[in-house]
Amino acid sequence: MSRASSLARYSLWQFRDFVVERGIAILIIGFLWGYVLIEPLRRSMGPAWNGPQGTTVFGIALQVSSAIVSVSVLIALNGIVSTDRKLGYYRFLFSKPVNHVLYYAQLFFVYMVGVVASMFVLSSLLHTVLPTFSIPHFLIYTVLVYVAMGGIGFFLSVATRYDWLSLAAVWLGARMLRSLYGPRNDWRSKVVEVLPPVHKLDEVANSLIGTGTAHATDVLWLFGYGALFFVLGLVVLRWGSLAD
Amino acid sequence: MAGVPPTGDDFRTAALVIEFKNVGKIYKSLLGNSVKAVEEFSLTVVEGEILGIAGPNGAGKTTLIAMMLGYLRPTTGTVEINGVPARQHIERNGIGYLSELIAINPKWRARTALVRYATLAGISHAEIPQRVGYVIDLLGLAEHRDKKVKALSKGNLQRLGLAQALLRDEQILVLDEPTHGLDPVWTQRFRDIVDELRRPDRTILIASHNLDELQRLADRVAIIDRGRLQRVVSTGYENAAPAAATRFRVTLASGHDLIRAVFPQAEDAGRGEYDVTVHSINELNAALADLIGRGALVASVVPERSVLEQQFREAVGESQ
Repeated sequence: MSRASSLARYSLWQFRDFVVERGIAILIIGFLWGYVLIEPLRRSMGPAWNGPQGTTVFGIALQVSSAIVSVSVLIALNGIVSTDRKLGYYRFLFSKPVNHVLYYAQLFFVYMVGVVASMFVLSSLLHTVLPTFSIPHFLIYTVLVYVAMGGIGFFLSVATRYDWLSLAAVWLGARMLRSLYGPRNDWRSKVVEVLPPVHKLDEVANSLIGTGTAHATDVLWLFGYGALFFVLGLVVLRWGSLAD
Repeated sequence: MAGVPPTGDDFRTAALVIEFKNVGKIYKSLLGNSVKAVEEFSLTVVEGEILGIAGPNGAGKTTLIAMMLGYLRPTTGTVEINGVPARQHIERNGIGYLSELIAINPKWRARTALVRYATLAGISHAEIPQRVGYVIDLLGLAEHRDKKVKALSKGNLQRLGLAQALLRDEQILVLDEPTHGLDPVWTQRFRDIVDELRRPDRTILIASHNLDELQRLADRVAIIDRGRLQRVVSTGYENAAPAAATRFRVTLASGHDLIRAVFPQAEDAGRGEYDVTVHSINELNAALADLIGRGALVASVVPERSVLEQQFREAVGESQ
């Protein structure tokens, strides 16, 4: 049996791990978050829920759902590599005929499938009360956020032990620095240009979830940024040490 | 079935399997302090050999193994298996590895953990139940197969670790402190298993604090201390004419009054036991033959220290 096929077979175990350790948590958090914010609004609005004020409702749903995607990616990527290294699980896993770089690359994509499946469940529930909410558009947005945010998260999980904390710090730090220095026309505004393009997510969320379209350059920038860090993570895995 | 281990010159002619070439590892802290964990370590291990690695705590045994498995990059030198970088070899062929720290996800059940490892090891779907069942029976884990890993005792966890290392018929086995946490029954069982695993085309590395265990199992033992290879000792007695005086404890069932006629310096240790000093195995055998010839009944002859223990003490120092 080839190494590639045994690793591919192992993806079923990786998906099972995602469901048990992360997927259920994502579903519970996403459902509660959405329910607490949207259900009271729906009750108080009554028939107006589907009336002219529906645009406001849609806007709120969009904000909530895009935030849930970000939190879900954070949960999914938490410790994706660093946990195995911290707890020593890599020792037995990689004494088998398996390439650890391919193992983690596969894990990244399996978790993406898991996040998309979780978002499909949650968006289907939202769709039942808000039929204008497009499930396919939302899932495309989910994939984009997973690659953009998850790529950086993956790199941080390879490079540090406190990956979710680092990712949250990078994400919030990039937002804050951009709002502070972005509008200025000096060297600092040039520097913040190369920070993770978090600010573009808001615009892309509005247009992609709302209409199914987005500026190609924004999408490419987000996707490319995350993909670059994902590849960097794989390079560090290849040339770095698994043990401390 | 146990194979015949290479002995004497066989070690020089058998195929080279593992080669440490001038391996060194320096850990550097963020403040710039550095610690040399391993220094200029060179050693070859051949096909069919069981090589022990002995050393006091912190000697660098586990670091060496981590570098051999490719989990840690050496600062200097290389480790090769069958002529290719060790990590590359393992990614292609796998290795049977039991780590000192048994790190298996505590939420997994014992059997599913083995099924997972078997899947990664490339064992076919149809063969997995058979292989997993075999190692479960071999390591006496049948009654624990459905327990979560976190519910296993230290000894059972150690056996589970050994079970995953034996899932495939590996050419190379690396066992780091393999009897750590095992009770005496399973320690003996482990030794029997290693004897059964001995094969002319298989190489086994055992790192252990337990010199008695290495004396029994290994063909040679590399003694390391402070990251350096101090010496490599053959554990057999065939070449082991002691250079210095060696003490043996002789137990007599009868003929106590004859002991000093043969061993004038014998010290009475009580209960029919006498400590005697000889300078070679030949001298010991000649004296024992004389003793038996005079009518004494010898119950046992045990070296006060094994060849390995003597060498270890010389290499590492009495303070250890």
